[in-house]
Amino acid sequence: MNNSDPPFTPEGTLGPFYPGVFALSGLPNNLSEIAPILAHRPAGQPIRISGRFIDANRCGVPSLIVEIWQANAYGRYRHRLDQSARMLDPQFDGFARIRTNDDGSYSFSTIKPGAHPLRDGSAVMRAPHLRFTIFASGIDRLVTQIFFDDETLNSTDPVLNCIEDPSVRDRLIARRVGQGEYAIDIVMRGEGETPFFDDWAR
Amino acid sequence: MNRTIPVVINDRESETRTPARPLIIIPAEARDPFSAIPAFPSVGPLECDLTRIAPGRPQAAGDVIVIRGRILDADLRPVRHALMEVWNANTYGRYSHSGDASSQAPLDPHFYGFGRVLTDDHGFYTLRTIKPGAYMARSDIGWWRPPHVHFSILGSGVRLVTQMYFPNESLNTQDYIHMVIPELERSRVIAQVHDEHSFRFDIIVRGRDQTPLESTV
Repeated sequence: MNNSDPPFTPEGTLGPFYPGVFALSGLPNNLSEIAPILAHRPAGQPIRISGRFIDANRCGVPSLIVEIWQANAYGRYRHRLDQSARMLDPQFDGFARIRTNDDGSYSFSTIKPGAHPLRDGSAVMRAPHLRFTIFASGIDRLVTQIFFDDETLNSTDPVLNCIEDPSVRDRLIARRVGQGEYAIDIVMRGEGETPFFDDWAR
Repeated sequence: MNRTIPVVINDRESETRTPARPLIIIPAEARDPFSAIPAFPSVGPLECDLTRIAPGRPQAAGDVIVIRGRILDADLRPVRHALMEVWNANTYGRYSHSGDASSQAPLDPHFYGFGRVLTDDHGFYTLRTIKPGAYMARSDIGWWRPPHVHFSILGSGVRLVTQMYFPNESLNTQDYIHMVIPELERSRVIAQVHDEHSFRFDIIVRGRDQTPLESTV
């Protein structure tokens, strides 16, 4: 932060009364179905991610909002800044918003995101990952990225590996628990706390 | 410097959910946006009016206010066609939300209490709501929340959740959520009075969409 910064509006908590209708409708809440009535499906391996959001008392965090954003199976983002030659998928937007249940659990279906070079022509590869933006009563916006334990690119991913401690890094890696099934818990605070990133840094 | 998110004292949810460890800084060459909203919902023209439950129905109790403002990004460019979600308590200080059932304040059957609007081509928005009442957040310690309106802004490369406060409310400086904001920044979440029934609230969203995912040349 420096003196030449414009007067940015401070972030704040979502509070306890975020309207359920915003959380559950109005924006997509299912990554795999843009037009459920069609027979078409997104390219790639269908997967399901489940887990719980846990607070410092090891209690589940209910009504927490997660906005998920990810590349498609080809490693392409539907975003104006992704001008790569990798294909867009007409059946896949890569965004959804979900809400945790009363016990803090969550679950969503998607397709496994593709790996992609960090930049066009770069030899550095980003491992397949999901981007989470998290809101809840009591917290300001948090961001993190979730990886998969069956991906060899994890060992060289430039975001995952900016976490020095391997045991902390592991907290961002979803475990494969079945065919196309992955599990990961997010610990907001306390023992086993999930690492979160700073996207203010410029 | 690694940033740590401040804990709001006396807010049990903040105390148990806010990460204790500093946030991790991603090296500049690996920074990418964390969120994008690729497909927009259509927002109806009446969704920006929180004061009635449906067109033609009676107006809610309390003072009708208009909030108008502009959303700018970190480079002070207008944020166009961003989705704003807005919600606030009724004039008695109660939300139209099932989670607010323990409130002693009455519901207002005519108050909708939440709405949406898209910013226009120049980043402007206009909303109509009821000026919210203050309410007790924790009776055991006498913590009152001052009147405030919640804003969520998403799309066009920005993401921000914040609360707008009103000027000259003595409860502002006794509110733990307001006071966790650094002193020099507090004025940025206080609306400016335009006239008796209208307020101006401009928002500058810290840039987080500056780094291209791919170079375009």
